[in-house]
Amino acid sequence: MTPPNLAEVLGRNRREHRGSLLVYLMVDAARRRRLPSLVRGCWEAGVTGIELGFPFSDPIADGPVLQAAASRALGNGTQWSDLLGAIGATADELPVAVMTYANPVLHRGLRHACRAIAAAGGSGLIVPDLALEESAPWVRASRRAGLSLVQMGSPATPASRVRTLARSSSGFLYLVSRFGTTGRGVRAPGSPLRVLIGAAHGVCPELPVLVGFGIRTSADVTPIRRMGADGVVVGTAVEEILSGSTEPARLLRYLRRLSRAIGARGPGD
Amino acid sequence: MPRRFGAYGGAYVPETLVPALGELEAAWRSSRRDPVFRAELIRWSRTLGGRPTPLYHAENLTRRAGGAQIWFKREDLLHGGAHKFNNALGQGLLARRMGKRRLIAETGAGQHGVATAMIGAALNLPTEVYMGTRDMKRQAPNVQRMRLLGATVHPVTSGARTLKDAINEALRDWITNVRSTHYVLGSAVGPHPFPSMVCDFQSVIGMELRSQSRALWGRLPDLAVACVGGGSNAIGTFHPLLRTPVQLLGVEAGGAGRGPGASSLVCGTPGILHGAFSYILQDAEGQVRETESISAGLDYAGVGPEHAMLRDSGRVRYVSVRDAQALQAFHWVARDEGILPALEPAHAVYAAVRAAARLSRTKRVVVTLSGRGDKDLEVVLRHDAAQSR
Repeated sequence: MTPPNLAEVLGRNRREHRGSLLVYLMVDAARRRRLPSLVRGCWEAGVTGIELGFPFSDPIADGPVLQAAASRALGNGTQWSDLLGAIGATADELPVAVMTYANPVLHRGLRHACRAIAAAGGSGLIVPDLALEESAPWVRASRRAGLSLVQMGSPATPASRVRTLARSSSGFLYLVSRFGTTGRGVRAPGSPLRVLIGAAHGVCPELPVLVGFGIRTSADVTPIRRMGADGVVVGTAVEEILSGSTEPARLLRYLRRLSRAIGARGPGD
Repeated sequence: MPRRFGAYGGAYVPETLVPALGELEAAWRSSRRDPVFRAELIRWSRTLGGRPTPLYHAENLTRRAGGAQIWFKREDLLHGGAHKFNNALGQGLLARRMGKRRLIAETGAGQHGVATAMIGAALNLPTEVYMGTRDMKRQAPNVQRMRLLGATVHPVTSGARTLKDAINEALRDWITNVRSTHYVLGSAVGPHPFPSMVCDFQSVIGMELRSQSRALWGRLPDLAVACVGGGSNAIGTFHPLLRTPVQLLGVEAGGAGRGPGASSLVCGTPGILHGAFSYILQDAEGQVRETESISAGLDYAGVGPEHAMLRDSGRVRYVSVRDAQALQAFHWVARDEGILPALEPAHAVYAAVRAAARLSRTKRVVVTLSGRGDKDLEVVLRHDAAQSR
């Protein structure tokens, strides 16, 4: 069976006016056994896709919760092979994008790393420290491997630049909701998100726009949907639940509430 | 201003920082040509900083080496006790010009933190400094100086609790407060335009060296030596000499000698850290390794991208000096010349003495004495006590 493709699933949801919910899970060698039931739980809760985070020693875009998760995963001996195994364990159920910093990918060679991710069943790559200006070789390598390379925008991005980002992005455009690192930060004054979402959709009407960083509750989701975003990404809140409890029901309840709020649809619905 | 040095450099940063880096580059481009800004920079450098710094003939150390004449470029005499003043002043003036209301900085040895705290006080800009708790312990006098100068020092407890971790935390602060805050990055590292801009501000070292040596001897030295952590005093020394016949020697920290220490150019491989593609110390998985060196200012897994290019081209030779050798050089300079050097340039002095010994007495070697050693007394005394036991 061909694994579901992230760009296709998100694109279909956009065409059919459904929301999308992506869940960020940190790959951790010590959580290998737990992963299949987590993914199954996400699927049942109506999650659209999974971002598998590969830990890096110097995660400058991450807040304290995901920093701690990364250093714990590295302490547990998490390696690139664990990432490929995690993609394999996830991609049959839900589409997978890999989210990691530039160096662990570059260290393997861009083409080699992209091919390995695609061969394991992944369909996207998100690199928070890859600025648009540096991304040309990455766009080529990911395109050749059949991966979407997701560009990121932020409240600091002018509307003109967000159009360029949208044109260069594939799979979806990832908009950071606030000034800050994952899980925390300060809100931008006014509503730059609405303007940015509109600008991106203006030049790329088919490209889904998802909002992340600091999204926590259903109450956060509703205004973001109203601004025209296609969905959200949750990471820190999920990691907090996972590190606080091994009881899958809690995560399931949380994700169900969120996916209902966003009108999300998984690939299986 | 080059964005790349050969294959190295670039700006690998989260999107939130991209507009701020563009704004910084534009401000620096217009300022460096602006006679008003230049005059202001020179005035502060002289009246607050004490520039120019002298070129000093280390005659006793020369006799010890038994070869070429050894001279010191005395950046240790600059206000604050290190070359860091040059860059902190330049970026502080730029920050004020850009209308930023707050300065942040990282610091390893504490010298850049002290320099930024001084500039923040002089320019009325509140200053916050990130410092690893391991460095806060071993460079305690500088923590107290920063606080007395009115800066807030934020302890950083992640990773090895040294310079790399302090930079991570400062970058996270900048991502959060980028609209109001300028990040005074302390070395010639990080995303474009920092490596070029820091090199510009530090090049005063090499330019003075050039004119002073011509005035003193009617010619340039034969060899210039500087220590390399991130590489700011070294690039400031080397850059104005690149298109001259002067031989250039960069000296990295070798640590205790059991592993690579903090020698990213000598022992590392190309990779991306803190926004730049350069040589870094990393493991087989592309994770950045923890470093170790007796000198907090050199204890860093990366290095400025221009040094990476100069290493590959062979224009600068880079070597590694171990903790014990740096300590030995510290004592040479103290006893022979009556100067307590910082442990960072003590690495460079050791390599310079070794190089001078192989050259004839008619040759001249200039070492950039990038900082003074008051901050290191406790570390040196502790090692001496351990030695004598």
